[in-house]
Amino acid sequence: MSSGRFLDKSLKFDWFFLVLTLALMACGIVLVYSATVNEDSVFYESLWFRQILYFVCGSALATGIVFLKLDWLKQLAAPLYILALILLCVVLFFAGDVVKGAGRWIDLGIFKLQPSEFAKIAYLLTISYWLSRHPVSLFKLKTFFMPFVLFIVPFALVLRQPDLSTALVFIAVTYVGFFFAGLTLTDMFLLASPVLSVLFSHSQSMLFQVLWGALICAVVFALFRRRLPKALTIFFLATNILAGYASSMAWNMLEPHQQKRVNTFLDPMSDPLGDGYQVLQSLTAIGSGGLTGKGFGNGTQTNLAFLPEEHTDFIFSVLGEQFGFAGCAFILALYALFLWRATSTCKLFSDPFITLMVMGASTIFLFHILVNIAMTIGLMPVTGLPLPFLSYGGSFALTCMVLVGIIMCMRYQGRRQ
Amino acid sequence: MYKSNSNEGVQIRNWNVLIFMAAVLLCFTVLLLRLFSLQYTHYDENLQRSENNRLRRVELVAERGFIYDRNGEILVRNRPSYQIAIQSLNLPKKKSGRDSVFANLLQIRDKDGKRMFDSLSLDTAFLRSRWIKNRPIRILEDASPEQVSIVEEHSSELPGVVTLIESRRAYPYGTLASHVLGYTSEISEEQLKLPEYANYSQGDRIGQKGLEQHYDAEFRGTNGLKIVEVNASGREIALVKGVDSKAPVPGLHLVSTIDLKLQKVAEAAIPDTARGALVAIDPRNGEILAMVSSPRLDPNIFSLKKRERNRGWAQVALDSLRPLTNRAISGTYPPASVFKLVTAGAGLENGVLSESKFYPKPCTGGFQYGARYQKCWGSHGNLNVVNAIRLSCDVFFYQAGLDIDMERINEFGRRFGLGEKTLGIDIPGERAGWLPDSASFNERNKRLGWRWARGLILNLSIGQGQIVTPLQQAVLVGSLATNKGVYRPHFMKELRDSEGNVVKTFEPEIIRQGKMKPETHRILMAAMDSVANHPGGTGKRGAIPGIRVGAKTGSGEWKKGEKTHAWYAVVAPIDNPEIAVAVIMEAAGGGGAVSGPIARKVLMAYFGLEDRKK
Repeated sequence: MSSGRFLDKSLKFDWFFLVLTLALMACGIVLVYSATVNEDSVFYESLWFRQILYFVCGSALATGIVFLKLDWLKQLAAPLYILALILLCVVLFFAGDVVKGAGRWIDLGIFKLQPSEFAKIAYLLTISYWLSRHPVSLFKLKTFFMPFVLFIVPFALVLRQPDLSTALVFIAVTYVGFFFAGLTLTDMFLLASPVLSVLFSHSQSMLFQVLWGALICAVVFALFRRRLPKALTIFFLATNILAGYASSMAWNMLEPHQQKRVNTFLDPMSDPLGDGYQVLQSLTAIGSGGLTGKGFGNGTQTNLAFLPEEHTDFIFSVLGEQFGFAGCAFILALYALFLWRATSTCKLFSDPFITLMVMGASTIFLFHILVNIAMTIGLMPVTGLPLPFLSYGGSFALTCMVLVGIIMCMRYQGRRQ
Repeated sequence: MYKSNSNEGVQIRNWNVLIFMAAVLLCFTVLLLRLFSLQYTHYDENLQRSENNRLRRVELVAERGFIYDRNGEILVRNRPSYQIAIQSLNLPKKKSGRDSVFANLLQIRDKDGKRMFDSLSLDTAFLRSRWIKNRPIRILEDASPEQVSIVEEHSSELPGVVTLIESRRAYPYGTLASHVLGYTSEISEEQLKLPEYANYSQGDRIGQKGLEQHYDAEFRGTNGLKIVEVNASGREIALVKGVDSKAPVPGLHLVSTIDLKLQKVAEAAIPDTARGALVAIDPRNGEILAMVSSPRLDPNIFSLKKRERNRGWAQVALDSLRPLTNRAISGTYPPASVFKLVTAGAGLENGVLSESKFYPKPCTGGFQYGARYQKCWGSHGNLNVVNAIRLSCDVFFYQAGLDIDMERINEFGRRFGLGEKTLGIDIPGERAGWLPDSASFNERNKRLGWRWARGLILNLSIGQGQIVTPLQQAVLVGSLATNKGVYRPHFMKELRDSEGNVVKTFEPEIIRQGKMKPETHRILMAAMDSVANHPGGTGKRGAIPGIRVGAKTGSGEWKKGEKTHAWYAVVAPIDNPEIAVAVIMEAAGGGGAVSGPIARKVLMAYFGLEDRKK
């Protein structure tokens, strides 16, 4: 089999994608092993072994998904979406098991179901199905109505848990979904501009003032080019300017201790005794790995034992300490290849449902990767988003495998052009 | 754009995928740049931090506030306590290394040649150390300085074994006011689950019972934090540069209303073997000057090491005399003849009784009511209300009670702090009393099938059948004498911060109306006066020279064939009340004979008089 054949577009099964997934899973098990290994415990009780079990279960699930017909998936969308909403309500109002102060789980005895994970997949399916049949356009505002309704319900329920970071996943999926359902790059910029506006005007420094000014100019230019309906043009301009002023005004209205709390969230290192402590430990661990790392198994007994979540949220620190820059770059390269193979699937078909599903799944992966790694290296607030394939955790491992299954299914079941 | 085979749509879509991947690469580049800066540019400092030194987050426990008496004498303070612990991360990594630390610890003997550590608790600690990595696990609690120095001598053979200093409570006067002060102990699993303990974490020492519990939040202060670098065997080297530590804010000191001198006298007057309680209160503002509940316990046992603590705990918890109960606020007794003040007061207030009112049936040793013959403790002849109180004649009050009716008697009692509502004292465990009327009597005795009958008024009007606490009894006589309202009884005078500045002062608060007609007040005071100062008064053994006191005795029947509960409630000086004292001695005999002298001693001490009798 030549390498050309290996990557052959006409193949119904993407072997390269499978290899990348397996490689990432193997890395994950190695890292969980090195973060939690304990010479005294029996192997079948250990976390790395359980992680293997989760991956095996997940792979079985993914294999099953590959054989689902696209029409079945489309028909499943609505029931799954409703089931997800019911589960979210259950966890919110009734059976929430309080883990770390937030009720996010339903205990099913053998394992704990995390409805928000399930909701991610159900939402991806539903929004993709809807957008594939009803493209959106800024010139026809009512096209946004249904997607918005579909989005806001699970989003609000997850936000109420409260699980901000998972709620943001829903935003990311919707945003990218719009991009592949009719919006242009300019539209995407306009949609994102109010958020950027808040970010830039948050600080009073010269640089940020200039950035904000540039942003407003860019918005005006984009609006000029797109020639959107008058109401929408005014809306975008107004929200940008308002967001800019309102954010700095609201900021000044906050009490100093509230300002401090926001600052701590945005920049954990400003509170080295609280969240910053974890980040400080994480930075030290990653930084001390150097270019090539301390070697496998040599990092566990030092700083990381202080990280309460070394094998879940802070697994990237374990990687950075033991395998250094080379290891980090290798994993990032794996992720990049993984995303490339995933997204290239949709180029083979003209079916918009396939495009939206594949891009949505890729977005979920990308969002988790970016937010988690940025957190461990102190670029983003400390949130509870795990790293796909590397972090320990049953629910999320299953989610990842289901998403992989969906991507493979699209290629396997899609009708060739 | 979704028309199938629409070339334009596919082109746009492919272009969009390319943009998506470009965004991915851009983000990954940012991450890589940051990683490069951490792992290459700042490699040296990070390596040094992680290899040579280890970072520790150490909680700086705030000093717990003291308790003072009203004159500034220390009632509760702190003492340093050494803990020997193992720090899991600094134990040898290999099992053989840990085993040798374990064996070395077992080898250590104190100067009497006894083993300092027992293998069972060491085993548990080493087992736990596998899971608990980030905090030390205690293996010897409250070690003596000698024990600490012995362990320090062997420190080279004991990597991972560290000594910590904690602060523990010390009660310099031992059992003195132990029920008021309370004690501290490690927070229990059950308490940790309760919402009001949300700010506490495992291992915290919290106040249990008494002032320690009620003012725990004030005593605790705010813990600080520091990040330190430690060396390979777990010892602190230095603070991490560039990271400010958060200094602990010491807890507030409580200046209590207790008068140490008075408390000492009261404690001495009640033998520890007896069951009883005493409350001395200032009726003008509700300040409690002394409170004794006997038998007592020594709160110091709860600060000792586990083995001794358990032994002490078993002793007090299993004692049939129940030394853990604060009888002064949780003990519920019949008010006995002290309640006659309330019956009389209600009668006078409602015009049923007056100084010149005599009842047709004189006291001949008993009273025939229907088919029942209710006895009196003597035969007192024909009496008016003042003399009936002086002699504590039951027959007079049987008839008065029937005349006045229970509703009016209870209403008068509630005005002065009796009844089903607690007085809201600032220590936990206060019980409410009970003033039975037909409704509440039927409700409470539903299960037994007892029904209210008018004949019950006979017993109730002489104080048999109600429930009061000694605190309520003291508040009753005190507020009867002042006639200016019932003040909330309390122990807190003020809270001070560690520099001695007053942070909060207790504002006296009127909680019950506590007022009656001047005429009623005058007659009641005359009666109380005669109880103590008239040669024939039942409470003459409580009289003190030079100061007119007003008193009422009581002998509460609680079980056939047993001695009565001895009540003595007194207020002094009667025309300008400063102090009210209630004493109960359980199953000790007559009130005037047993409890009178105890109250007398307290009053003598309060007024600074020499006790020449005896």
